[in-house]
Amino acid sequence: MANDKRIGGALAAAACGLLGTASPVRAPAAEPATKSTDGLWDVDTAFLYYGESDGRVQDASLNAIAVRDFGDDRKLSLDLGIDTLTGASPSGATASDQPQTFTSPSGRGTYTTNAGEVPLDSSFHDTRFALNAGWSQPFARLYTFNAGLGVSTEFDYQHVGANLGLTRDFNQRNTTLNLAVAYGQDKVKPVGGVPMPFSSMGDVVDDDVTPPSRSGDSEDKKVLDVLLGVTQVLGRHTLLRLNYSYSDSSGYLTDPYKILSVVDPVTGEPLVRTPPPGVEGPGGVYLYEHRPDARKKQSVYGELRQDFSGKVLSLGYRYSTDDWEVDSHTLEGRFRFPVGESSYLEPHVRYYTQTAADFYRYSLADGAPLPEFASADARLADLDAYTVGVKYARQTTGGNEWSARLEWYRQTSKAPAQTLIGNQPGNVQMPDFDAVILQFGYHFSL
Amino acid sequence: MKKTLFLALACTTLAGCTTVKPWEREVLARDDMQLDANALDTALDDHIYFSKEGTSGGRGFGGGGCGCN
Amino acid sequence: MGSPCEVLVESSHEQPAQAVASAVAACAWRIEAKFSRYRDDSAVARINRAGGETVEVDEETAKLLDFADHAWKMSDGKFDITSGVLRRAWTFDGRARVPSPDDVHALLPLVGWSRVTWQRPRLTLQPGMEIDFGGIGKEYAVDLALAAAVACTDAPVLVNFGGDLAATGPQRDGRAWRVGVEGVAGSHIPWTLELAGGALATSGDTYRFITDGTDRRPHILDPRSGEPVRGAPHSITVAAATCVEAGMWCTLAMLEGAGAEAFLAREGVRHWIQRK
Repeated sequence: MANDKRIGGALAAAACGLLGTASPVRAPAAEPATKSTDGLWDVDTAFLYYGESDGRVQDASLNAIAVRDFGDDRKLSLDLGIDTLTGASPSGATASDQPQTFTSPSGRGTYTTNAGEVPLDSSFHDTRFALNAGWSQPFARLYTFNAGLGVSTEFDYQHVGANLGLTRDFNQRNTTLNLAVAYGQDKVKPVGGVPMPFSSMGDVVDDDVTPPSRSGDSEDKKVLDVLLGVTQVLGRHTLLRLNYSYSDSSGYLTDPYKILSVVDPVTGEPLVRTPPPGVEGPGGVYLYEHRPDARKKQSVYGELRQDFSGKVLSLGYRYSTDDWEVDSHTLEGRFRFPVGESSYLEPHVRYYTQTAADFYRYSLADGAPLPEFASADARLADLDAYTVGVKYARQTTGGNEWSARLEWYRQTSKAPAQTLIGNQPGNVQMPDFDAVILQFGYHFSL
Repeated sequence: MKKTLFLALACTTLAGCTTVKPWEREVLARDDMQLDANALDTALDDHIYFSKEGTSGGRGFGGGGCGCN
Repeated sequence: MGSPCEVLVESSHEQPAQAVASAVAACAWRIEAKFSRYRDDSAVARINRAGGETVEVDEETAKLLDFADHAWKMSDGKFDITSGVLRRAWTFDGRARVPSPDDVHALLPLVGWSRVTWQRPRLTLQPGMEIDFGGIGKEYAVDLALAAAVACTDAPVLVNFGGDLAATGPQRDGRAWRVGVEGVAGSHIPWTLELAGGALATSGDTYRFITDGTDRRPHILDPRSGEPVRGAPHSITVAAATCVEAGMWCTLAMLEGAGAEAFLAREGVRHWIQRK
């Protein structure tokens, strides 16, 4: 073709001659309005508020995930999150029929809990930044490769991680196999230093003095995760995903701020202690917890997505088991149905139940030999949790979407009977709580 | 182990299921039928449940650890 | 047509949708019967059997031949409806192979619109030559089918014959129709275009519901020389006002080989090209 000859007009005229009056639908100057979805950033943002009952933890966060398609299915995704945490969380000490005094983690001050209340440590005000970047691209007709890097940081904790994955399609893309591996390296730098296992909570110390019984400034933790999954199209309206995961954590897995109360072996009441004269300190004997330095976990997860003429039901189930004896079942369902022309409602329910870790203790008996590992963290006890919520979303004329989500979470835990001491049965107070989750989101293209 | 065997069996039987042709995928191609349809919501939820419960993960790989209390 | 054909009608009543479906199907079958190279009773078969005799064609065939003639001139001979005989150079021994240059050169004397005498409405081919509307027939059928649909109803309509499609306009709520084009290396979800009106055509070995299922397409040959076109893209998708235009742009761009992007950019045509 002559390099600078333009044929567009001639072609349009030729087409007109061919179709003539048989093609009345477009005005002569009509250009088809097509918009390709590649070459744009697809951004999903959300503001989330999480608030627990009774003055406990409150968290506010701002999050964004931005995905850019570079064509040919090559995608870059960037995920940014900032959250600030305030409020109090249970320290692991038991409630008592007397007020209790504790030293704060920094060792610089004390806090007191009223009689009959579960002790909460309110000294945490924390801001966390997290950034994840991921890349995915096909590298042969049926294979897709993905890789990601992530970092997160808060004043006493840092995380760096990487992941790699491969997917392969079969059966005219009705079946997809997925293999992924992730490795993470964390560093915990607790306020006041890393406490030695089962050391006693000490008295208040001066500003330039390290609290007693600290083994160092920081500790490391490594996590390796492997995931094998299959996604299977079961029909024109049905999709199923099944995953098997294996996770191996090692290093410092203890929570450096959590303690166990030492109690009288007969009454089950916390021991009473008087700090030395002129010194402030704990009014009882509290020992820092100690967890194993390894944890191996396996889980299977299944999710089914079913369309009912425009309404979508998704059901998920996960079973998890590990060598800490924490076994759990999670059952979750969402049902999305359109409301009007451009909105939808999506109710959501979730049920979670777990069995206690074999080293979970409600408290420790004075005079009894110390176990090798022990923790009174209620998150390792027998636990049940329910979530009920609903999401509402509305599309704007530009194709963007506003959404709001409100959920209510209730957690109840139980100390296994064999971990109770003396008169504790019937007197146990677990740090059960309710929480509300409120999220506002905006999904748009740049 | 028993669970892995069950999973492998499930996969092979599932593969024998109906094959949906590309031109029959108009429902499966909808945004709300994608497995990552609520990606941001589930990521935020997973982060909450990771810090409040004893088990985490299983769905895919999330953003990684935190010193959540 | 060799591929599944569908029409989408956005209507809350079944009766007009049925009427549209019947009209579109009738249109597709009529065009196929008339212009298919594979059917003995088609107008094209009658022309190809003439053995050097002059054939008088009807008005519709004449218009298609005029269009083919314009396309031949616009493309300096690269688009040529007599080039179909070159397919005889492929030997199928279980897998598609590049034809040998000797086999192709042996067929060249039978190729060339310049060797055809076209004086409306009379067409004279040299003995052994054939014409083939494969490059325009389906797109023409789409445009006609859309016009037939419009005559039946005001509802938004989209006609899709195996990946060549045209729409009357956007859907009722103003949103465009979403069209999936399978990506080169494939994924669960095809990459998506939003069509708010006009037509789309795709050419290449993108999975366009071709029933033989083989992954490799025959090389595209330049009918003037019989040589393969160098650097032809994996697939080209073009948007234009009518499907015949969109289809022609695809074909002409494919014949440009490595210069496909530059060609379409210069012409100001909306296009998406995938290279392996």
